[in-house]
Amino acid sequence: MFEFLFKYPASVFAKGRFVLLSSWPVWILAACCAAAALALAWHVRRNRANLTGLRPAVVWMLESSFVALLFLLLWRPALSVTTLRPQQNLVAVVVDDSRSMALEENGSARIAQAIHVLDSGLLSQLRRRFQVRMYRFGGRAERVADGHNLSGGQNATHIGDSLSGVLSDSSGLPLGAVVLLSDGADTSGGIGRDAVAELRRRRVPVHTIGFGRERFSRDLEIAGAAVPARALPGSRLSADVTIVEYGYARRKARLYVREGDRVLAAREVTLKADGSAQSEPIAFQAGAAGGQNLIFGVDVLEGEENTANNAVTRLVNVEAAKPRVLYIEGEPRWEYKFIRRAIEEDHALELVSMLRTTQNKIYRQGIANPKELEPGFPSTAEELFAFGGLIIGSVEANYFTPQQRELIREFANRRGGGVLFLGGRAALGDGGYARSPLAEMLPVRLPEAKGTFHRDEVKAELTPAGTHSPICRFDDDAGRNAEHWTRLPALADYQETGELKPGAVALLELSAGGRRRAPLLAVENYGRGRTAALATSGTWRWQMLQPLEDKTHEIFWQQLLRWLVMDSPARVSASTPRPVLSDEIEAPLRAEVRDKAFQLVTDARVAAHIVGPEGLSVSIDLPPEGHEPGVYTARWTAEKPGSYVAEIVARRGDEEIGRDVVMFRREDGVAEHFRAAQNRELLEKLAEETGGRYYRPEQASRLGEEISYSEAGITVQETRDLWNMPLVFALLLGLRGVEWMLRRRWGVV
Amino acid sequence: MRFWGRALVLGVGLLAITTLFALQRSRFRPFGDEEDDPAPIPPDAREKTEYAFARLRYPSAGRSWWFRSSWPTDYPKADRQFVQGVRRLTRIHTRSMEEVVDLDSDEIFKWPWIYAVEVGHWQLTDVQAKRLREYLLRGGFLMTDDFHGTLEWDVFMESMGRVFPDRPVVEIENSDPIFHVLYDLDERVQVPGIQYWYTGRMYERDGIVPHWRGIYDDQQRLMVAICFNQDNGDAWEWADHPRYPEKYASQAYRVGINFIIYAMTH
Repeated sequence: MFEFLFKYPASVFAKGRFVLLSSWPVWILAACCAAAALALAWHVRRNRANLTGLRPAVVWMLESSFVALLFLLLWRPALSVTTLRPQQNLVAVVVDDSRSMALEENGSARIAQAIHVLDSGLLSQLRRRFQVRMYRFGGRAERVADGHNLSGGQNATHIGDSLSGVLSDSSGLPLGAVVLLSDGADTSGGIGRDAVAELRRRRVPVHTIGFGRERFSRDLEIAGAAVPARALPGSRLSADVTIVEYGYARRKARLYVREGDRVLAAREVTLKADGSAQSEPIAFQAGAAGGQNLIFGVDVLEGEENTANNAVTRLVNVEAAKPRVLYIEGEPRWEYKFIRRAIEEDHALELVSMLRTTQNKIYRQGIANPKELEPGFPSTAEELFAFGGLIIGSVEANYFTPQQRELIREFANRRGGGVLFLGGRAALGDGGYARSPLAEMLPVRLPEAKGTFHRDEVKAELTPAGTHSPICRFDDDAGRNAEHWTRLPALADYQETGELKPGAVALLELSAGGRRRAPLLAVENYGRGRTAALATSGTWRWQMLQPLEDKTHEIFWQQLLRWLVMDSPARVSASTPRPVLSDEIEAPLRAEVRDKAFQLVTDARVAAHIVGPEGLSVSIDLPPEGHEPGVYTARWTAEKPGSYVAEIVARRGDEEIGRDVVMFRREDGVAEHFRAAQNRELLEKLAEETGGRYYRPEQASRLGEEISYSEAGITVQETRDLWNMPLVFALLLGLRGVEWMLRRRWGVV
Repeated sequence: MRFWGRALVLGVGLLAITTLFALQRSRFRPFGDEEDDPAPIPPDAREKTEYAFARLRYPSAGRSWWFRSSWPTDYPKADRQFVQGVRRLTRIHTRSMEEVVDLDSDEIFKWPWIYAVEVGHWQLTDVQAKRLREYLLRGGFLMTDDFHGTLEWDVFMESMGRVFPDRPVVEIENSDPIFHVLYDLDERVQVPGIQYWYTGRMYERDGIVPHWRGIYDDQQRLMVAICFNQDNGDAWEWADHPRYPEKYASQAYRVGINFIIYAMTH
């Protein structure tokens, strides 16, 4: 319709520039229009006869518009557009040949639909006007003679890299446009800015033709699974699994986590609305030390169109390390004894404690040698930072020297350790912490008044945040876990705290006989580390008042202390931002190196020894990262799919600073099954940013004409007359016709 | 008629006051009739503390009907004098008044340290023996004291053997932390009972040699500390008496305090 009225396609108007071809100046046109308008005004006024009110003005406007339009046509309006010179330009036809294009929809695969579009006229249309080069792409573009080699078998979809490849292949040639046939299901995380910038610089428009449905009618997809990269042996972990579903709203599905064929945990979830991302936590236990390939998935439901996107793999490094936790207690208490007992049962933790039995005596337990902590609480960073976690019991804040208080703050902030504050008659508010510099570390505000510690029984209540916390999990099933908490005996005592600080989370609250609910266990991140406050010293009742077989008390403390130290970095901390290489081969490795006082080390020699599939064993160096002191990075190419373990060792001179292990996995052909619906938004945006257009397959026949209007390649400036547009004649007739009809109606013909 | 009315009102009033007094008295002196050596109720007896001296009330065997039970021996003076030392010498938040606990009540699980005296006369029922085993395995601690000689040992073991039929009673080594947790008690002496006053004899019956024995759990932590052929309770009770030697009183305090701190740390 547009083209019928306007004579040319919309793209001509979008790209063209409006010009008047007459040699007469434009001001004469304006003057003529103005003179005609005045004359008509005088004429209408004199002959208005029965025209009253606004009617003369309406007649004057219609007549003036008619005359102005006639004058405009005399000045020869036209569009000036840049077009590609026939047969002198190159057009690249780039076809997505990835696995997602092999998905069948409406009886044929997407790739077959693309070939059909090319063969049913588009290719011949293009060839009539341009030199055509045809490419297929997955991870990168490669030239093909025709569409018969396309099968939808490539493992990846890297649109940006492929377009860069096409540009590079045609450098020096007059590339006039790119026609991209794809479903837009890019697996590289998006089209890079560099590729788009290069297209814009060369003014090459990318016209995209989108294939595939924009959403499946019946599908379940695991859109993501967030799980800690590291864990201690036997730890209870919690993963957040994101599920997206279409066509199964309010249906039940079984969410599971397994390692190999062994199911670690499973639970039923109720699916939410179509298309919405639904986050579901699932708790499970990490196994023995070593790398674990965990598969998070949902069982296939009847009628699913894509069953290959129902599970994802994640790596967890279960470390054999045994972090040490220092516990300082200011007075003998039952809580101390039972915490020690609980942690003694945990082979992944080591609890070192110092207890003030009398005013001047400290009883030490769990020490590595008789000299350890002999002088008292550590007063140097080297001594304190050797621990991964710190528990401060019923000890007054001013028991610590100002230097020690600063060390405690730095312990969390710089060293990245975890600090747990317990309740007690010399703890929190009653211990003078509210006015101490340590107050800023606490996840709760503290009352400054004394007398906040009460030896009265209270019940611990699980908060919604606590429901999903691995600290408070006794049962993998959330419902049974919540019920477990309601059955626990009351705590022996509690301590009043103020409200939560911004960013802190309460996992447990206390409740007793109508008393205001208050945080009982609150946690927050502090600097590189984390802090927690447990406003009681009465959890030992969970041990003494429950049957011997009940392990609530032990599990709670083991999980709390594991949380405290799990993310405490070692002196050498290795990581990779891409633990799973989906159709990628380059693994970025990163190591942060610190000395005993956890100051960054800039002169270390860092090397990684990588072990991979098929007996691969290789060593590489990690040079210092220029702009980040103490950080050493490298990119290494993983040639084969499979799991890799990199042990990173840092040395300074002959001294080994430390070592750490990072794991990653290369997976080929898996990402293609995820987000496999047509990504129309991406294709539209690519076309828009490069000056092209997005087409549906049935609109592709128009592309042959519209593609000519491009500023890339070898072009010629053309003018297209507008005076003979059908719209102009319709407008002229319309203006006169409307005036005539109005005059008839008003009886002034 | 008026006289009888007034007499009735007076009688009811007196009865109410007496009942109230009796209730008050029984609340703070619930075992008043069984007190072996009465002592004043401390002014801060009601204070809620971390630790209280928990004395085990148990059924006795082999005593004639006119004898009192054996559990309250030295009670409550020994208890109250001992905790004064605990308060003064340690940082344990300690109640000035003892707590009497009973194996037939779940309350015992709120007191993870208990003291049983004259256990050479105790006779636990099977239910009590089972509950004591459960108490100790959950993390409770039992100190036994003031029983002497072969016969009393056999009586003690008759009940203890039912508590732990599968765990041996062993001599506690000098190196065990219980003798070093606060005071180093390598040099231990037999603490005599009050008979030392008038006989000069250190022992009772045929209990000539003192023993510090114990029962350990699977993690080699002491659950039961057995002070055999010695009388720490008397030493606590008579520590304020000039005729009772300071040497024995001091050791009894040190032993008791070490046992408490050990129980609060292991």
